[in-house]
Amino acid sequence: MTYQSNRGLRGLLAAAALAAAATMPLKAQAEETYNLALLSDFSGPYADIMPILAGGREAVFTWWNETRGKELGVTLNYKNYETRYDAAQVASLWPGIKSELDPIAVVGLGGPDVAALSERLPEDKIPMFMATAAYGFAWQPDAWIFNPRPTYSHESVGFLNWMREQRGGDEPLKVAILASEASPAYVDMAKGLELYAEEHPEEIDLVEVIYTEVQPTDLTGQMRRVVRAGAEALVIQTNTSIVVAAKRGLQANGANIPIMVSSHNGLPASGGALGGLEQMEGDFEAYGMAIAADEDTPARQFYKTLVADYGLEAPWNVVTAMGVSQGLYTVTVIDHAIEANGAEGLTGEMVREALFAKPITTEETHGFLPTLSFTPEAPFPLEGLKVNVGTVKDGKITIGATGVDVPQVEKW
Amino acid sequence: MVYFINDIITGALIGLLYSLVAMGFVVIYRASKVFNFAQGELVIIGGFIVWFTTMQAGLSLWLSIPLSLVLAGLVGYAIERIFLTKLIGESVFSMVMVTVGLLILLRGLVLLVFGPAVRPFPIIFPLKPLFLGDMLIPMNLLIGGIITIVAAVGLSWFFNRTRSGLRMTAVAEDHVVASSMGISVKGSIAVAWVLGAILSTIGAMIFLSGKSLTFLASDIGFAALPVALFAGLESIGGLILAGIIIGIAQSLTTNYLDPLIGGSLGSVVPYIIMLAILLIRPTGLFGWRTIERV
Repeated sequence: MTYQSNRGLRGLLAAAALAAAATMPLKAQAEETYNLALLSDFSGPYADIMPILAGGREAVFTWWNETRGKELGVTLNYKNYETRYDAAQVASLWPGIKSELDPIAVVGLGGPDVAALSERLPEDKIPMFMATAAYGFAWQPDAWIFNPRPTYSHESVGFLNWMREQRGGDEPLKVAILASEASPAYVDMAKGLELYAEEHPEEIDLVEVIYTEVQPTDLTGQMRRVVRAGAEALVIQTNTSIVVAAKRGLQANGANIPIMVSSHNGLPASGGALGGLEQMEGDFEAYGMAIAADEDTPARQFYKTLVADYGLEAPWNVVTAMGVSQGLYTVTVIDHAIEANGAEGLTGEMVREALFAKPITTEETHGFLPTLSFTPEAPFPLEGLKVNVGTVKDGKITIGATGVDVPQVEKW
Repeated sequence: MVYFINDIITGALIGLLYSLVAMGFVVIYRASKVFNFAQGELVIIGGFIVWFTTMQAGLSLWLSIPLSLVLAGLVGYAIERIFLTKLIGESVFSMVMVTVGLLILLRGLVLLVFGPAVRPFPIIFPLKPLFLGDMLIPMNLLIGGIITIVAAVGLSWFFNRTRSGLRMTAVAEDHVVASSMGISVKGSIAVAWVLGAILSTIGAMIFLSGKSLTFLASDIGFAALPVALFAGLESIGGLILAGIIIGIAQSLTTNYLDPLIGGSLGSVVPYIIMLAILLIRPTGLFGWRTIERV
């Protein structure tokens, strides 16, 4: 072997060593994996919407892993846990989830998750990110459970004030609410609106507060009370079965009072259960999240990306939007936490701190959510609250209004 | 005053719907001394059969309703053959536990076969209510009330006046004794489950007509439970009175007390009445009193 060839070999080895050294940090980055626990209800009261919602949030995690995750050298693993929307089930599952996954965050579904874990998560130092609106009973400082939307009562109040403006005049809007004692969250929706109406009689006249079962036998009599009281709007933020029974009750009374529904029992779901969206003509859905209407919005464009490139199969509707927005603000907070602390050794506590440290802009959530500025005072942003309004016009969902201001609602 | 009377009538009719579902409990109990915890799930199975034959298969109501009743009867028969026949002669407790298992199994099967989606249920009875002056009576409940009374009269006659009915009563007394007397215990229990499934399907049609169908509708089984226990688990005629009392009490509470207290006392009232009656008369209003001589 000549000197020349030895030098060539040494050069080759040196180049190989350099290349290996250059790739080592990348390799180490790609090894950072964090777990998310997803609480789901595939066999309980929300089993009908769960596959769609789950599809939305999982597609976002896939998208993040393949884009930002790759850049940062982080992979987010997730696992669904079946809770049947039952607080007892959530409570019994939690120790196992913690020991199996050691998650840096929980992606929750609804009221039972909040009821079961609100005392445990601060001790375990793991934040939970919800998709739904917030609950009055969980409106506490130093929260570990967060909602991207204000309470259901904030959302209904925002909508009702908008509706009063649309109607015109100085008279308060006559409103009825249909709730249920089947879930603490359902009661909470009514209590918040009741308090607001009591404190703002010039805006809302709450003429009827009706509690019923989750699958009512007949609401004809109750709807007659609503009609007799002269209600101009009927708020139903519970489930689709109650919307259907109320609609039939109103039809039996020959009345057509506009119904306002929320995201989880939105216009497509309630219309479908009634036999067609046209049955909900003139009714509304309102929430602090993008409306899944036909218009070409940034949110819809992002949805199309998820469908085209990341395997999302769910249709473009409010439930998918809910899942996508939940996924988006969850990964954005984790992204912020990685920016602040580095990719290694991320903990649930760091993720929570990142939530307060920096706002989640509407651009980061592709217009699915308004800019969210969380503070330790509440589990949801207290400033800049907005709701969007969707309605059914000519058998199609259209945007009624966007960025409707939510007035200040006192804690109840 | 008109509205008050209207609320009483509507309440009585809702109570009769509970009576019809409760009749399923009573028929099975009278033939086997088994309390069927899966009664609400039989309502759901019946509901899905009706939905499938009308909305999926596209059959007309005139064809789908009798076909659904036949299919529901077959489901009842199959349940009895698969799960309960082998338990004849065993303790009643074992059979009751099987019905608890059935509750979970049927819920799971519904989810597996039909999926979790909320579906529109066919409009079987006219949506337009009956107007009597200022009074408004839902048509499905009115027709349902009539069906319930006819079913109660028919079943009372069957159990008290026919040999088959009396044989079923004998089976309920004691499987071994009935067998030794040449009565087919298996046959009697099978007939009871067939009847129970058919009654549940009729209940589903009245309850869900024009509304939505999900497995949550099985809650009607729990709503009917106080009526069955209030009447006494052996009395079919008693179900009518118990249903009317409970329905009226619930309606008046929902319409007059609930708005005052801001809650849902109306859903609890049936259970309060049931517990009060059971404290005073443990066998229910019309239940059989068993006297044992030692």
